Amino acid sequence: MRIALVGSIAAASALAPAAAFAVDYLSAEEAARLMFPDAERFELHEIVLDAAQLQALDARGVRGRSARWQSLAARRGDATLGHVIVDQVTGKFELIGYAVGIALDGTLKPVEILSYRESHGGEIRLPAWRRQFAGKSSTSTLRVGDDIANISGATLSCTHVTDGVRRIVAVFDLVKKSGGLR
Amino acid sequence: MHRACVLAAALACAAPPTLAQSTTETELSRRLDQLASELAKVKAELATLQQQRFAAPPVATAPAAATTAASTTAAASTTAAQGPGLAAEPTTVLTSYGEINYNRSTRDSKNTVADVRRFVLGYQHRFDEKTKVVTELEVEHAVSSSSDPGEVEVEQAFIERQLTRQWSARAGLFLIPAGLLNENHEPTAYYGVERNFVETAIIPSTWREGGIQFVGNFENGLTAQFGLTTGFDLNKWDATSTEGRESPLGAIHQELALAKAGDLSAFGALNWRGVPGLLLGGSLFTGGATHGQSSEKSRITLWDLHARYTPGRWDFAGVYSRGTISNTAAFNTPLVGSATLIPKSFDGWYGQAAYKVWSNEDYSLSPFVRWEQFNTARSFADLGAGLTPAGARTERVITLGANFNIGSGIVLKADLQRFRENGYANRFDLGLGWSF
Repeated sequence: MRIALVGSIAAASALAPAAAFAVDYLSAEEAARLMFPDAERFELHEIVLDAAQLQALDARGVRGRSARWQSLAARRGDATLGHVIVDQVTGKFELIGYAVGIALDGTLKPVEILSYRESHGGEIRLPAWRRQFAGKSSTSTLRVGDDIANISGATLSCTHVTDGVRRIVAVFDLVKKSGGLR
Repeated sequence: MHRACVLAAALACAAPPTLAQSTTETELSRRLDQLASELAKVKAELATLQQQRFAAPPVATAPAAATTAASTTAAASTTAAQGPGLAAEPTTVLTSYGEINYNRSTRDSKNTVADVRRFVLGYQHRFDEKTKVVTELEVEHAVSSSSDPGEVEVEQAFIERQLTRQWSARAGLFLIPAGLLNENHEPTAYYGVERNFVETAIIPSTWREGGIQFVGNFENGLTAQFGLTTGFDLNKWDATSTEGRESPLGAIHQELALAKAGDLSAFGALNWRGVPGLLLGGSLFTGGATHGQSSEKSRITLWDLHARYTPGRWDFAGVYSRGTISNTAAFNTPLVGSATLIPKSFDGWYGQAAYKVWSNEDYSLSPFVRWEQFNTARSFADLGAGLTPAGARTERVITLGANFNIGSGIVLKADLQRFRENGYANRFDLGLGWSF
């Protein structure tokens, strides 16, 4: 595993959804500031999982999907407050852009929905639903129908975003335990 | 002299290379300066870009120690510029759902059937960032021909345009927002092999009309939908058929197939999801149903109230719906003596509880129980003594079964249904469904 600060334009653009959306609610930067309002700056990080780490993820029942992740590390002075990861999952038919904030102690911030373009199910943007993630961590179940309540009419969107959050939490927990997060 | 000539010749010969080398070095030096200048310019542009992206707070400049690592990963990060999962957005998406059912009568085995109940193919195509077309083409009962029971139907075909962050508009053939099931009718979305009776006999799912609709989603959890559409055609009522007794509105819906459109209908629906797991909503649909085809006029109105609450592994749902048809006396008078007169009112409700007893990464098992009461002819308009039919008896059905989900796209179902009024309809059902 290696972590590198990447200052390229390509990396910067990676933190924005790949395409413009019908409804973009937040940018990655806005989401990061909402999650870590005390941060003085955000630094781009790239995290590359090695084969052993991907296998460890698989053993946890989490499909890693990618060996390469990027985050915005929220910094205040020399201290790291946490990380923000932008991802996309398919809702029912189309992609949902969302951001996950993880404090340095491993607890989650409310999930932020960056973009949504399905005809049905946009209710996952509701603050009450997103707040369910706050305070949860890698020890939480993080499953719709368990510790995350569903939204009627948006079941697939809820399920797939929750699955995505669970994957990101597992990836960062693994990296943190290997001493890779700064 | 000779030596002088040789030296002179040597100098003459040596001079051009020396001068040429000097020229090359000058050129190289000039190019290096140019490159350095361009590099400085690119760095300045990059810094400006980064400042713009992270205006407050700013992105820290990568420490020198990390620069080497950054440069070694630069090529890789460029290929990963989409990031994990940040795939390019497809403009066209193929969709499908289907269900294959087996219904075995527990009292009369000759009524046992197996059927490809529905096979649906659809696509969504995005014309631009704000505009898409949504379609579904459905085949019911596997084969559609003059000698087979099947039907081919365009179930949805509409254009959707995002107007603002809150509002979008749809035009074309779309599903009417009524009850819990009509807009979410894929087999993976409901419990039981067959759709519930209230949302098939009273609300004629899959119910769609042609017209225009506005959809608003608000931060407080409210979703508002309203619009103008085609409606039902009472002229289609066949008093010699029992179809109207099974579903009054299902017998006279038009499905935008050369639909009579002289009368338009209006609809509205409000759904509130302000508390996670809770949905409270209602809908109203009303409009003329004679389209200038007869001297009498009639209005059809259907409304519903619905709720769903999914705390943890529980899933509770309930729907009440009631429909009325006005001025039915005028239409029924010439039909007196026929098998099925037009009801004045019809209604029904159900309550359902499901619990996910077991699940892992790939599977989940959810037993459920549903109690339904529905009456497709609650009352008839007064035709005079001895002529006015009595309202039908209310059917009560209990359904006990389970959904076994494989992932989120496949479901196996089994249930038992007991009918309190018509015991011959008691049955055991098996079903296979999918949706993507």
